[in-house]
Amino acid sequence: MTIGINEFIIVSSLLFLVGLFGVIFRRNTIIIYMSIELMLNAINLALVAFSRYNNAMDGAIFVFFIMTVAAAEVAVGLAIIVMLYRQKQTVLVNELNQLKG
Amino acid sequence: MDILTNLLSILFLPLGTSLLIIALGKYRKQYSSIVAFLSSLAALGLSYILLKNMSGSVHYSWEWLAFGDSKFYIGLLLDNIGATMLAMVSIVALCIVSFSTGYMSEDAAKGRFFAGVAFFMFSMTGIILADNLIMIFLFWELVGFSSYLLIGHYFQKEEAKSASKKAFIVNRVGDFGFLIGIILTYWQFGTTDLELLSIKANLDPSLINSFVGFLLICGFIGKSAQFPLHVWLPDAMAGPTPVSALIHAATMVAAGIYLLIRVEFILTSEVLTYIAYSGAFVALFAGFCAFAQDDIKRILAYSTLSQLGYMAAIFGMGYSGIALFHLITHAFFKALLFLGAGAVIHACHHEQSIFKMGGLFKKMPITAITFIIGTLALCGVYGFSGFYSKDAILIAANDYNTTLFYFLVLGALMTAGYMGRLIWIVFFGKANSEAASSAQEVKVVMTVPLIVLSVFAVFVGLNAYWPFGLGASIVSDLDHLHHLSNYKDIHKWVLILGSSAWVIGLGFSLIFYGRGSSDDRLQVKSPKIHAFLKDRLWIDEIYQFYVNNIQKPITEFLSFADEVILRGIIVRGGAGLVGIFGVGFRLLQVGKLNNYVLWFFVGLLLFWLYGIDLF
Repeated sequence: MTIGINEFIIVSSLLFLVGLFGVIFRRNTIIIYMSIELMLNAINLALVAFSRYNNAMDGAIFVFFIMTVAAAEVAVGLAIIVMLYRQKQTVLVNELNQLKG
Repeated sequence: MDILTNLLSILFLPLGTSLLIIALGKYRKQYSSIVAFLSSLAALGLSYILLKNMSGSVHYSWEWLAFGDSKFYIGLLLDNIGATMLAMVSIVALCIVSFSTGYMSEDAAKGRFFAGVAFFMFSMTGIILADNLIMIFLFWELVGFSSYLLIGHYFQKEEAKSASKKAFIVNRVGDFGFLIGIILTYWQFGTTDLELLSIKANLDPSLINSFVGFLLICGFIGKSAQFPLHVWLPDAMAGPTPVSALIHAATMVAAGIYLLIRVEFILTSEVLTYIAYSGAFVALFAGFCAFAQDDIKRILAYSTLSQLGYMAAIFGMGYSGIALFHLITHAFFKALLFLGAGAVIHACHHEQSIFKMGGLFKKMPITAITFIIGTLALCGVYGFSGFYSKDAILIAANDYNTTLFYFLVLGALMTAGYMGRLIWIVFFGKANSEAASSAQEVKVVMTVPLIVLSVFAVFVGLNAYWPFGLGASIVSDLDHLHHLSNYKDIHKWVLILGSSAWVIGLGFSLIFYGRGSSDDRLQVKSPKIHAFLKDRLWIDEIYQFYVNNIQKPITEFLSFADEVILRGIIVRGGAGLVGIFGVGFRLLQVGKLNNYVLWFFVGLLLFWLYGIDLF
């Protein structure tokens, strides 16, 4: 069996859905955070696959940008979570409901 | 000192004085009167220096505001007419402030009084020196404000409180027309500068129209208390007597006449005729009203109304110079009369009813003699200042229109009648109350101004001897009268009628009222006539009716429209609608991050479905 573009799309879609459901259903901020990273990486995978399929480097270059932004996001986001924990003594989103109308 | 600095210092010295008196704080009681006195003295000195150094007229103008191409200027204009007014105002003000230091010496709120008087002087000087209509209007409102402040000096009394409000509101009615008149003048001529206006009006007489003229004289009708806005002046007597003398007799009410003289060249003959007839009517009508008053100040107030009527009448006949002449002579003798009344009131422990006075001649001879001099000047007795101006008015009236002439002669008879009534009852006979029998001559600071003013009241009519060439327009108008074709005959006739008017008036009042009577004989003998005169043609009642039955329903309807339609339906209703939406949208804010993410993806999904043309 040769691995073609379809297999890559299926894997990346599955990864994305795992990340999406993680964001929707988990309550721990850190897990939510990891799920977001998972979604980003699913996109990366798809981009690389399309780039290879089209014999063009555009998608691959775009992946570098996504990785850079993700790294920066981790730095900022983790700092926010740490501060949040110091203030509220919790990282569970169901207890962080101050914006409730 | 150059002329500009001199002018500015004359204008701003009283304002500075007013602020200084306020800043004195707890020392106000002690020093406010001396500060005010020194400032008036300095103002008189500055005016003297100015008039001595000045020749011809001066005009300074600075740009004030620019809206696009429309520019507004402020400036100072001092011509012969303004200089004459300035001299009169400075002298009268000094006398009155000096009198006030004695009259108000026991008043608890002296500081407020003197600060108010100084502020009034600032505003009045502003009117005299203003070079355009907008600036005149500004100071016009400021004199109105200071008048309000000073009428309400005894604000603990209900009467003073409502009188000050009445004066302010009635003046607003006139000033509204005045303001519209100024705006229309600007629209028509493109400027409000008095000198430019006169040039443009001369070049193109078609620009002048009666409508604008009638609007402009609304200001005069309000401020000079002409019919039908005269109702505030008698009530304004609730203020302290020096205020009545300064503001409501000598200067502010005369500012209306001054305004007329300033804008004479843009008034059409219809406007002038109206002014002449309404003035003559007021001159007679106020004379009748004065007979039914028993408050000494109110009698003088009606007399002021009547004399303002004379000025308006002569102005309307086209002799603005003689109007100015009568304005000046009237200012001196009426200020004298009011101060004399103030001295009497002061001596009688604030008793104002003439029927509770009596026999004061022996107790306060200086006041009595100066008061009688003032009365003779007011009645136009030969040789006193009032004679010269009234004589000129009557001659001009005879030449202009016989009806007006007899109105004015009858007015002179009335004047002598009610003044005679006042004199005989207050100063002769015997005292009619405890307060009057214990009255004593007032202090020197109060008698000296009386003497000074009585000297002016006698001699100020000799306008040929005025210094610095003041009153040039008076001379030219008098010359014009002297060259009337049958001047000699008219003069003889006027002299006979005028003299018999005061002789009959004074004599008849002596016979009818008697000396020092304690009750109003007119009221006793003919209550109906007295009641009719006291009702003053029901003008106050008509206004009352208008306010209650016409204005009130309209305001109630407007208030309904405001509260129910505007505030209730539009404002509250709009806010309520938004609020209901808010309540609905609030339900979406559940406070769970996971839900928000879910909705986010649902939204994204919808966009995607839309993007692939699913719907």
